[in-house]
Amino acid sequence: MTPGRDDARRSAERWRDRQTLERRLHDGPAQRLSALTLRLGVLRADAPGRNGDEAWHRGLDVFQSELESALQELREVAGALYPPLLDEAGLGPALRELVTATGAVARVDVADVRCGTAAEGAAYFAVAGCLAAADATPGRPEIGIRVRVENDDLVLTLSGVDPDQRRPVLDEAAPLGGCAELTGPAEITARFPCA
Amino acid sequence: MRVAVAEDGALFRQGLVLLLEAAGHEVVACEAGGDPLVAQLSTIPADVALLDIRMPPEPDGGLVTAERLRAAHPDMGLLFLSHYAESHYLMRILEIGTDRIGYRLKEKVGSVEVLSDTLTRIADGEIVIEPELAKRLVERPRSEKRDLVASLSERERDVLKLMAEGRSNNGIASTLFVSAKAVEKHVANIFDKLGLHADTSAHHRRVQAVLTYLRSQRGDA
Repeated sequence: MTPGRDDARRSAERWRDRQTLERRLHDGPAQRLSALTLRLGVLRADAPGRNGDEAWHRGLDVFQSELESALQELREVAGALYPPLLDEAGLGPALRELVTATGAVARVDVADVRCGTAAEGAAYFAVAGCLAAADATPGRPEIGIRVRVENDDLVLTLSGVDPDQRRPVLDEAAPLGGCAELTGPAEITARFPCA
Repeated sequence: MRVAVAEDGALFRQGLVLLLEAAGHEVVACEAGGDPLVAQLSTIPADVALLDIRMPPEPDGGLVTAERLRAAHPDMGLLFLSHYAESHYLMRILEIGTDRIGYRLKEKVGSVEVLSDTLTRIADGEIVIEPELAKRLVERPRSEKRDLVASLSERERDVLKLMAEGRSNNGIASTLFVSAKAVEKHVANIFDKLGLHADTSAHHRRVQAVLTYLRSQRGDA
């Protein structure tokens, strides 16, 4: 069951690939589309004779709003690949942002240390999965999210969660050579080896 | 207005210069990173600097650059333009300064009117925050313990949301179709309910109200 060293290395490599794809979206299509919104603004300002032309302005409005939608969709795809904040600022800021953005009822206690692209990515998506599952639960108890680093492992402790979440958390940890155990009636502790 | 630009994406940088010029502003410096802009602005005066967040020096050069510019030129306005609107960066930005500062999404400043309005408000001393970000932060329901806003009335919550967007009392009054006096009363109630008392200036308390709220929403201690 436990993956070998090579499997873990390949899994870590896949996390770095995901991060690279996120950067390509940011530097490529996202930049092109946001630059187009500026060119559209110039076009609007440069058309003095068109001032009374309702259809022309409506057309430009549609154009602008479609560009904004495309950028929003790109942000969502990028976030599902590898959240940029995770790369830039680490697990604590990224998890706090996730809690803010999803409206999850959760307490974030994350040590301010960096653990590498793969461990941080896997731990982030393990937490995201638990928050999404808890969101559908009536009553929504507060979830505790605690992260520490011990012996070169990123140790994630989730409290107030459904024990059934151990499996999806393990699915994130295991490919990197980590594990996930029930450490209480509603507590999961997972270890993600730092690269 | 005299504006300076630092942005590492060439396409966006060129588009920004074109739109700024179409809006009648003078682009006094335009660089691909923070360090060369700081060097340029040591001799060239500018009213507002437009900064990308994710640019050299990596990873978030816009913030480092802003700190240096704020220290060297306290009167210069700072506008962050980013592909992402995140509360993490908003907190860092408000740590750099709580006046003459703004944070907007790149695709939301694509008209001469919006761009000029944003720059003018910043040059006038206001904080300008992407409305969608302010809205997301103020409207999310939270657990009882952290929900400071639970003690606010619906109208006070509307006022706080507009405060978080950096609106003045008069601006809030015209948006909500109420008198400026009514807004003042709501703001006083918000300060009171959030435990911000009269030992500091109104502007400072205003920023504190927004920051207190943002922190509570992020689950920080």
